[in-house]
Amino acid sequence: MSRRGYLKAAMGVLLLFAIGLVGYFALSAGSPDGLERVMEDNGVEEGDQLWSAPLDYGGDWGTAFVAGLIGFALTFGAVYLYLKVYLKGGSARRKA
Amino acid sequence: MDPWVVLLGWALAIPVIAMAIFRLDRRVDERTVPFMAILAAGIFVAQMLNFPVWGGTTGHLIGATLAVVLLGLNGAIVVMTAILVIQCLVFGDGGLTALGLNLLNMAVIAPLVAYGVLRALKGHEGVAVPVASWASVFLASLACGLMLSASYVISDGAFGIIGSVAIPAMAGWHAVIAIGEAVITSGVVLFLKRVAPEMLEINGLKEAGA
Repeated sequence: MSRRGYLKAAMGVLLLFAIGLVGYFALSAGSPDGLERVMEDNGVEEGDQLWSAPLDYGGDWGTAFVAGLIGFALTFGAVYLYLKVYLKGGSARRKA
Repeated sequence: MDPWVVLLGWALAIPVIAMAIFRLDRRVDERTVPFMAILAAGIFVAQMLNFPVWGGTTGHLIGATLAVVLLGLNGAIVVMTAILVIQCLVFGDGGLTALGLNLLNMAVIAPLVAYGVLRALKGHEGVAVPVASWASVFLASLACGLMLSASYVISDGAFGIIGSVAIPAMAGWHAVIAIGEAVITSGVVLFLKRVAPEMLEINGLKEAGA
């Protein structure tokens, strides 16, 4: 796939995400997912967190979209960088 | 979750992930790097979108089957691991201690199940993709139910949920949520087959046996 193709794919994913979020806030926001539901039904609470994360998924359309955008960029960046470094290491190993 | 169950989760998840990383070498080349990254990012945003299933409960995509179809087993394990780690560290979705168990369920069990079903039903792709998606979510949730019940037993009720409740409840909800996973995954695969069949070929089903 070309560079243009990747750009189109990224735009497509984010566009679908933006549309999907509207449905999410219309139908699902605030409702528990499967695991949360089972925990709620049984009165199990999550313990204190060892790590407090710097961001959350946002509470309305705009903030959730920004959170998604950040997550998209971070995930893309992390996997991309990791694999690049990994490939470099791999070719060095093969040469050695 | 009971600390012993948490430790067991890490102990089981880490070697499989390490193996996947090690074996990835044969698959990755310059061409596939951006593709893997974009797929990982796409699965991340897909996981944020909950859809309602029943009685005020919602579900969302895990994406393990999609990743296996497009990247093969090792690629899927690595990508799912990256997503779960970012969700945990950056967005606080799932605690740090639970990460080992989440990794075991969604980055190890779900892709393994998906891979197993896809291989078993090789040549019947129309059936294989939805069945693999459904089974991957269902079995991962069953594993989660088992973890909750094991926690309950080991900790004498201090953590987790008693098995006679946890297992049917997890399996029941996720049997329905998994239908959503199957529909979405099949839809995406069919769409990609039509617009970008070369994506399905880098992978995957052909090469995955190697």
